[in-house]
Parts: sequence; structure tokens; C-alpha cells
Amino acid sequence: MKIWKFIFKRILQTIPLLVIVSLISFFIIRLSPVDPLAELRLNPSISQETLQKEQKRLGLDKPIIVQYGLWAKSFVQGDLGVTSAGEKVSVKLAERIPNTLILTLIVIFMTWSVGVPLGILGAIYNKTKLDRILTILSSVGMAIPSFFFAILLLIFAVKSGWFPVGGLTSYNFSDLNFFGKIFDVSKHLILPVTVLFTLSLAGLQRQMRANMLEVLDSDYIKFARAKGLSETKIIFKHALRNAINPMITLLGFEFAGLLSGAALTEYVFQYPGLGRLILEAVMKSDINLVMASLMIGSIMLVLGNLLADILLIITDPRVRG
Amino acid sequence: MIKEILKDKFAGAALIILILMYICIACANFIAPYSKDFSDRNQAYAPPSPVYTITQDGKLSMPYTYNYVRVFEPKLYQNVYQLDRTQKHYLKLFVRGESYKILGIIPCSIHLFGTDDGGRFYLLGTDINGRDVFSRLLFGGRISLTIGFLALFILFPIGLLYGGISGYLGGWVDIIMMRFAEAVMAIPSFYLLIILASILPANMTSIQRFTLIVVILALIGWAGFARVVRGMVLSIKNEEFVQAAETIGASKLRVIIKHILPQTTSYVIIAMTLSVPSYILSESGLSFLGLGIQQPDASWGNMLKEAQEYINILYRPWLLTPGALIFVAVLCFNLIGDTVRDILDPKSRE
Amino acid sequence: MKSSIKIITIIIFIIIFMALCLNKDSGLSNYTLNSDLIKPNPDAVQLDLNYPVPKTKTIDGTDYLQSQLPVGKFGGELISSTIGEGPKTFNPYTSTDATSSTMADIMYDGLFTTNPMTGEVIPKLAKSIEIKGNKYIIHLRKGVKWSDGKPITADDVMFTWKDIIFAGLGNTSTRDAMMISGELPKIRKIDTYTVEFVIKQQFAPFLRMLSAPIAPKHYFSKDKDWQKNFDRFLATNTDPKSIVTSGAYRLKEYIPAQRVVFVKNPDYYMINKNNEKLPYINKIVYLIVGDVNNQILKFEANELDEISLKGGDVARYKAKENKSNYVIYNLGADNGTMFIAINLNNRKNKSTGKYYVNPVKQRWFSDVNFRKAIDYAIDRKSMVQNIANGMATPLYTAESPNGIYYNEKLKGHPRDINKAKSLLKQSGYVFKNSKLYDKYGNSVEVDLSTNAGNTEREALGVMVKQDLSDIGIKVNFKPIEFNSLVNKITNSFDWDMIILGLTGSPVEPHNGKNVWNSNGPLHLFNQRKPEDSDKNIYPWEKRLDDIFEKAALKLKFSERKKYYDEYQQIIYEQAPIVYLYSPIRIYAIRRKIKNLYPSTLSGLTYNIEELYIDGGKR
Repeated sequence: MKIWKFIFKRILQTIPLLVIVSLISFFIIRLSPVDPLAELRLNPSISQETLQKEQKRLGLDKPIIVQYGLWAKSFVQGDLGVTSAGEKVSVKLAERIPNTLILTLIVIFMTWSVGVPLGILGAIYNKTKLDRILTILSSVGMAIPSFFFAILLLIFAVKSGWFPVGGLTSYNFSDLNFFGKIFDVSKHLILPVTVLFTLSLAGLQRQMRANMLEVLDSDYIKFARAKGLSETKIIFKHALRNAINPMITLLGFEFAGLLSGAALTEYVFQYPGLGRLILEAVMKSDINLVMASLMIGSIMLVLGNLLADILLIITDPRVRG
Repeated sequence: MIKEILKDKFAGAALIILILMYICIACANFIAPYSKDFSDRNQAYAPPSPVYTITQDGKLSMPYTYNYVRVFEPKLYQNVYQLDRTQKHYLKLFVRGESYKILGIIPCSIHLFGTDDGGRFYLLGTDINGRDVFSRLLFGGRISLTIGFLALFILFPIGLLYGGISGYLGGWVDIIMMRFAEAVMAIPSFYLLIILASILPANMTSIQRFTLIVVILALIGWAGFARVVRGMVLSIKNEEFVQAAETIGASKLRVIIKHILPQTTSYVIIAMTLSVPSYILSESGLSFLGLGIQQPDASWGNMLKEAQEYINILYRPWLLTPGALIFVAVLCFNLIGDTVRDILDPKSRE
Repeated sequence: MKSSIKIITIIIFIIIFMALCLNKDSGLSNYTLNSDLIKPNPDAVQLDLNYPVPKTKTIDGTDYLQSQLPVGKFGGELISSTIGEGPKTFNPYTSTDATSSTMADIMYDGLFTTNPMTGEVIPKLAKSIEIKGNKYIIHLRKGVKWSDGKPITADDVMFTWKDIIFAGLGNTSTRDAMMISGELPKIRKIDTYTVEFVIKQQFAPFLRMLSAPIAPKHYFSKDKDWQKNFDRFLATNTDPKSIVTSGAYRLKEYIPAQRVVFVKNPDYYMINKNNEKLPYINKIVYLIVGDVNNQILKFEANELDEISLKGGDVARYKAKENKSNYVIYNLGADNGTMFIAINLNNRKNKSTGKYYVNPVKQRWFSDVNFRKAIDYAIDRKSMVQNIANGMATPLYTAESPNGIYYNEKLKGHPRDINKAKSLLKQSGYVFKNSKLYDKYGNSVEVDLSTNAGNTEREALGVMVKQDLSDIGIKVNFKPIEFNSLVNKITNSFDWDMIILGLTGSPVEPHNGKNVWNSNGPLHLFNQRKPEDSDKNIYPWEKRLDDIFEKAALKLKFSERKKYYDEYQQIIYEQAPIVYLYSPIRIYAIRRKIKNLYPSTLSGLTYNIEELYIDGGKR
């Protein structure tokens, strides 16, 4: 019962949050001198009437406050509007979100299954050569600019011919059988996943190591040691659980972090994900599209945090009080 | 503290490399053989100049180089660089070149190295406009290596004060302030970054643009920082010395600034060293997308833009050097940051 | 012990360093031209101006269009690419961007098309045309079908022109261009296969405009509210199978941000010499790639069959051509032009009461000697060499050399600083300490911008800055974001000089009307707001208006050419826009693709129905 109340309270809390987010984003975008019709204006074969029609359709002739009101009203009603090219925003987002989710979830899964053990290793062997090597490796991983790394990997793909050059599927994808499709997609995913994995592994490993060190330093672990429990038992039975709890909070943030971290990677790899969509939309000031994707990004983050909180309550009864 | 950093082999080396880098960019005018805008249009994409120390007839000689002559090969649609072997150009130290101003006041025209009259020496080749890549790396470093720090100097006071006020006052103020900070945090940061960068007014001088990008970078990070500070303030504000200051009758702002915030110093230092790299990377990403520092100004990010082109990577590897420098600089900051944390944060110490 | 190891390593390092320093000057030239590389490619098709145009052939009452090219093999697929975000709509009447139009061209045929070699208008969906004065009687092909088997008739033509285009649905550009002295042509159905257009007076571009695609009436008017929903009709999320087309291909699938796949239309009305139904190639795939860099990587990885090469890439592919599976074609100058526009605006902003351009600068820009001096100070040869890697032709006036109306008498001139300086002196400018001052003692300093992120234009800007500093003009070069740039050009007018590129039409200069007409929406160099129309028009601007109006009314090529020659002459002399160069189009295409007739006007794959694939693996 208490959990439900808590969840309800948290959801209520997110509403003002989203209102503020939407206000900030909307005004930043609309106050900019950027013109969504720029490309059309510079096309010699587009007539004045066509331009005026477009302007009306996008509501650019009204004051900003009215524009925001109109946008918010339709957003609440579930209508995300149309892009500057006349396509439905909801359709565009629906095309991209699954692609981004695949990429992000794979990366999160991989970083967790590698990062957490490495973090524990680093903590157990604190101040030894192994720990040092791990720390330096993770520093190296954090230091490569993602777009640069992505470009180098692309060149590698071309030169070796082992991987396709960007994208998500091959041109004959729809003619493949089920396993062929899976194989095709995984072939395309390897390189972008490698980049994002390298990027986010380091942070996770460090966090886990720090948490573990803190827990290992705590009184009850010292007490358990004094009691003479075996070191493996101490680590896996007592320390791990407490060290992982704060990590769960991170999960939500990591999800959002990947969303934005993936933008440059998606851009270089021509991956049909949300990041590239937003990047292109921002460049063109496609207001409805940018707003919708920012809101979706924020909602994902808030949901991620909420999920993390709930997980935390389930795993750690102390928080409930 | 520096002594302690130097004790660690990697961090020590990193610190030395970084100090060298900063010295180089500080003396960019002197070390760079050319200014950042110097360009020879007939030398676009010239490869690095060769340096010879043994002459054609096998004698040892002072190091010398030749100039490049560009020839267009119409059948292959290709520009070819040939060495003009009619004249040797000896490399010299402390040569006279383009004049510049030391500290912006004293005019000077001595450069660390260069060639005699009429010679061109491109240590790392040239870019599409025939500008010396080595010189531009030094001038670009001025932007890339300082932008992170400047952003931090804006961000940290804001974050400290915001977090301090929010945590100390508590109640409704706290709730409203934290909701706002959370809203800023809830916008995926890189998107916020590109949106802000893409709306920068068009006709700005390079200095204005630089400053605004610093401000934008700072706008991204303050919220997360403020939240952590608030958390720390919450636990500090019930300590005895704070209550003591309150009973004396110190003003609230004074309590926050004089008594509470100093307690967070070590966290601030750790957070700062650990976050410089991410700002360097953000700047390079922005410039790479064409939203950051713009031509003809140089930054490592916008120089790396040329590395996007396939043939540049294959045939003009010298254009990749900015990427390597970003990597080295960020790595050094990370290594130092780790060590600083180990030193200042007693928890991770034995 | 430890210290001795240290010393040894240091010594080794020093030795290695010394060894690296000792570099022997071999004296050899580091480059020799490999004669193998420049042997002509045996597989390359010579540019042949005698493309045999398909002819009408009637079999069993059906008026087929018969290809005159050698008979090829059926099957295979052609993988091409489009840069950007992919098509925004599959509705040919609402499309405003190049990609959507390309896609529409594949799916829908028009009544007429352009002869790829001569630029003449030739029939496509129309069988023939009779011109009686101002009457155009068009005979349609009998027995030709939509991709769903329904016949294509005069009703479809009527529907397209009367109910869609003339009714002002979608992109109204075609309608606006057809408006001849305020009146639209009249259209009348004579019988199931005959339609008549009546125009008020002779109008040269008219026939060419009839190449707009024809819409399937039964498909478009299925929805009762089709007019109201027209803008969203055939949006990119339309079920591909439902789309009815008349072209050689129909849509198979569209995967956003990835690709568009077309499959052949089995009911297409073109046949080969064996009377077998074309097209040969089963599938046309357009990969959607974000930028040129990714495109070139995909071509390199054999994921693409054809690519348009730019600048330095050409050299790389040319050098490897003979050992590769592709052929490179040089199609000569592009329709695109690169230029510096100069802002001649001398009006005040109505709402603020201030001049759009600083009056001091207005004096400079309105001075033809000043503009000509810039023209002479620009080093086009270096630009072509450095920025386009030699892959461009210098340009001195508005039409690109590949256009059929190109004025060949305008030979251009080399860079001439002295000439530039003497022009400036004529107008009273003086040089002091290598700086330029106008008669009133103002030092000449101008702003130059272009769209940020475009490496080519940014490099051009840096070069223009240097070129103009040689005649004492200080240029502040500032690339700005594309949107802001457009806003300056079309709205706020607060700019001095801008580097831009536009794409023209090689066969129809009239399409440039929006740029050259003094009230045109894209009259860059002297843009007028609607409230300022007809104000401060220069005599030569007036003459241009006149030329564009009159030239369109002449039908003979030679008569029109006279007018368009004069317009180019005026631009050359007045230099409101200083043209820089026109890129040369170089294409690489896999050898397995046959029946190619490269054309300077239409490119490589305009005869997609007749292309076939022989050998080669993917």
C-alpha cells in the first residue's frame, strides 16, 4: 500500500517538472532567430504563396505565448503536431524510438554486466596493480571523443569489409528470413555499441568501485570480518547488496545520459535513432519535433528515475521509512 | 598536494604533460612558426615538410628542408606536391617571422623555429586553406584547453550558492529551487547544448562567441552540482558550529558563504578536476557539429571536422592530430583527477 | 641497479631520436606520374550526343514507347543514395525538396520530358502534340495503364491540371509560373485520349512545364475530402502497396532514415527492340545517407552502385579506376553556381525607419566600379585549384557553361589587381598604407558571411578575404548558421556580401526569374519587401525584368538566346553577383551497369528504364 502511495506521489511530482521542462525548451527554441522555413525560402522554384501557406500551417504568425498554449493543449490531448515537412511527429518518433531503445538497452546491459564486476574487482584489489590498470583503462575509455572514435571505427569497417558502413539494416533486409534479420541487425549494431560501451563503461566501473569501497569500509563489514566470516561471503552476501543499491539510482540517469551521448555516435554511424532525429530537427528548428523529442527524452529520464526508486524500495527496506 | 600527485607515476607524468601543453599554448605566438590566420593558398593540404640532415652527396649538414610546389595533374584530376629542389632552406632557431605582441603589448617578431627567407616549414602539414596545422593546433589549444575551466568558474559559484541557499533555507524555497534544478537536469544535456548553441546570434565576434559557448557549457552543468551541494549543506547545517554562528546573529547569507560552503571545498576540488575533461569533450563535439567555435578561429574540435572526410583520413593523417591531442589532454585530466580524489577524499584511502 | 636501467633506456631513446633526425636527402622526386593510371578506361562509354530517343510503336492498339538501345538482360538491382533525411512526401504536387522530387520522378511520368542531349521537349506519356497558334492539342497514348491496371486517360490529365495544379493545391510554383499576364491556360477534354490547352499568348517555357507528373484520378479522388487533406495525402507513412503510379517503378518500402525501395512496374508502357516490357532492372534502392562522407564510405565498401564525386575524392577514385569495378564519367560543369552576392539595397526599413544597409556602404555597393573591382580582384583560378581540387570551371556570369543558353562570348578575365585598382581610382577611392578609403575618407570594410558548416564555402570565404585585402578592402568573414543566413537574405537584409550557391536549370533560364525579377522572392542582391516593390529600380534591373518577360514570349531558340545572352552580359557588366565557379560533375558508376548514355544535361541514370545489369557481384 505504502509503495502505491509513494509511486502516486512521485508521479504527481513529475507533472510540474515536465511543465517547467516544456516551458524552458519552448521558449529557448522560439526565441531563437532560427527560421524553420529557411530551406524553402532559398529554393528558387518556391513561390511566395507556398511560403505563406506553410507559415500559417506551422502557426508561425502568432505570438509565442499563444503558440505555446496551442502546443501544450494538443500535447496534453496526445497530439504531437506535425513536423515542418508535414509529417506527423508521433509517427516520426515511433519510427525512431525502438531503434534507440535497442541500442541503449544493449549498451546498458553490456556495461552493467562488465562494469559492475570490474568495479567490484577494483574495490577488492584496491591499491594493487590490477586496480591501477583498471582505473587507467577506464580513464583511456573516457578520454576518446566519441565522434572521433566512431569515425575511426567506420574507416576500419570500410577497410576490413567485416562490418557494414553505418545504418541499421541492409538494403535487402525485408527479403531475409528471421535469423538472417537478426544476424543483419547485430552486424550493424556492433560498431555503435562498441563506441557507446567504451564511453559509459568507465563511469560505471568507477562508481561501482567507489560504492564498494565505501561499503567495505563500513562498520558492519568490519564487524563481519571480526566475526571471522570468509571474505567471499562478506563480499557477495553483505557488501554487494548494499553497494549496488545506490547504483540503481544511477540507472535512470544513465539511460538519459545514453540518450544524449548517443546523438553524436548515431550521427556518425547514420544510425536511425532518436539522437540523430533530434540533432537534425534542432539544426532545422523543427519546433514540434524538437519539443516532442525533448519531452520524450525528459519523460524517459523521469520514468527511469521513478523505476529506479521503486526498485530501491523493493531491494532496500530502509528507504521506505 | 602537487608533491603527492607527482609521487604517483602516471598522474605525475600527466601533470607534466599538461603543464607543458599549457606552456605551449601560452607561448603559442612564439612557438608557432606562423599565425593562426597565415595561409598560403597554393599549399592547401601540403604534407609535412621533410627535414634532411644528410645531403644528396652523403655529407652531414645542418637540418634543411625544401619548399613544396603544387602541380595539377589534369589526367588524374589530382593535385600533386613536389619538392622544389632548386633551393635548400635551412631550419633555424629564433628566426624573424610575422610580428605579434607579447602579452598584447610588446611587439615582437621572433619565433622559436622556422626557416630562412622564402622557405616554408610545415611541421604537421597544412589544412584545406593552406594554413599550418601545427600553428593552428597551438592557437586552437588556447580555446579547447581553457573553455572547460572557464565554464567551471562560472558554474561552480552558481551551483554552490544555489545549492547552499536551497539546502540551508529548506521548506518551500528548497522544493521550488530543487524542482527547477531537476527540470534542467531532466533535459538530456547534449540536446540542450545543441539547442542553445544553435540559437546563438549570428553576427558575433569570435570573443563573444567564445564567451557565450562558455556560458552555455556552464548552464548545462550547474544543476547537478547544485543538487549535490544541497545534500551536503543539509547534513552540515545541523552541526554545532553553524548553530553557533546563527546564535551570534550572523545573517543567513553570511552563514551560508562563511560557514557552510567552505566545508564543501574538497568535494568542489574533486568535482572540478573530474569535470574539466567532459567540458573539453563537449566543446569538441559542438565544434565538430559546426555549432561551437567557427572558422577562421581554430579549436581542436573544429579542426577535427576535416577528419570526417574519408580521403583526409587515408591520405592526410596529419589532420587527425587534433583528435590525438584531445585524447591526451582529457586522459591527463582524468588521471590527475583520480589522484586528487584519492588524496582529498579520505574514504577511498586505506 | 635501477638507475643504470634508467640511464640505458634514456641513452637508447637518444640514439633512436638521433637516428630519426638523420634523414638522407635522396634527391629523387617523390612523385612520378604512373602512365598506367592515365590509360583510357576500356569500359568507359564515350560521351555520345546521339542518344537514340525512344519512339512510339503501336502493337495491338497499345501505343508503346520503344527503346532504341541494344537489348539487355532482365533482373538485378541498382543501389543509389540520397543525401539528407530522405523523402518528406510521396505526393509529387506537395514536394518542395530535391529528394522527394527525385522519388516522384521515378514513380510518376509526365506528358513530356527533356531530350537529355539537346534539351528539346519530347513526348513521354503524351504520344504527340499539335500546336495551332495558341492551342496545344495533346494526344495521349492508347492502352497505357496505371500500376493497378486502370487505363491512363484524358480524365487523369484534366484532373491533374485543372483540379490539382490550377486549383492551387500543394506547391503552387508550377501554377504561378504558368500564370501568363494574370491568366492561367484553359484546358479542355476533347475525347478520352485528347486534351487541349489554350494559352493567352505564346509562352516558351509552357511546353516544358507540361512535364509535370500526371496523377491517377481514381486513386486521388477516392477520399471525398481529398482536397482538404491534400497536403497530407501520400505522406511517407502511406502503405506502399496502395500507391498507384505511372512510372517505371512503384514503391515497395520506405524505411525512414534508412532507405526507399522501388520495384518495377509490370504494366509500364516502354518496350525494348524485342517488344519485351521494360524496365530491365527489378529493384531500385535509394539508401538515405546523412552526408557526403558517409556516402563515399558506402561506395568504397561496395554498398552503392553510383555516386557523384567531389573535389579530392575524384583523384582517389580516378587513380584506382583501372583496377576497379567502376567507371568514372566527367559530365562537365554542373547546373550549380557558386557566387558572392553584394547587397545593393538602399531602402529604409518601414518599421524602424533605419536603412537596411549603412548609407556609407550603400555608396560603395551601388557603385559598379566597386563591384567590378571585386570581380577583378577575385582569384578564381586558385579557388578552383584549391577548394574544388581542380574540379570546377571558373564562372563569370549567371548561367553555367553546361546550359544551352550559355553566352559563349563572355570569355571572362584573369585576376587583375591593377585593373581592379584603376577601377576603384576612377570612382575616387584612394589607397593609403595598403588600405582603401572612399572619397569621403571612410576606410572600406565589409562583412562577408556564408552558412557555417559548409567547408567549401568557409574555405572560399577565407580566400575572398585575402583576395580583397590585396586591393585594400578589409573583409570581416563570419560564417553563420544557415537559418540565420536565410533570414538575413529574405527578411532582415542586414548583410554586405554573402557567399552562396544556387542550382539553375540548364535548359530553361526562365526558372531563374525569381532571382532576376526586381520583385522576385529571391532577388538576393536587391531584395524588396512587398511594400517596397517597384522602388529604386536600377535601369539595368528594369532591363532584366524586360528581358525575362520578353524572352518567355519568344518560341524560337535563336530569338530567346539573344535575350538570354543579353541578360548574362548585363550580369557580367554590372556584377551585382560576382560568380566564382561551377563545379564539374564527376560520377563513378559500377561497370556492370550497361546502356549508359551520359548526358551533360540530365546526368547518368535518366534512362533508368533502359539500363540493365550485366555481371558483377554485390
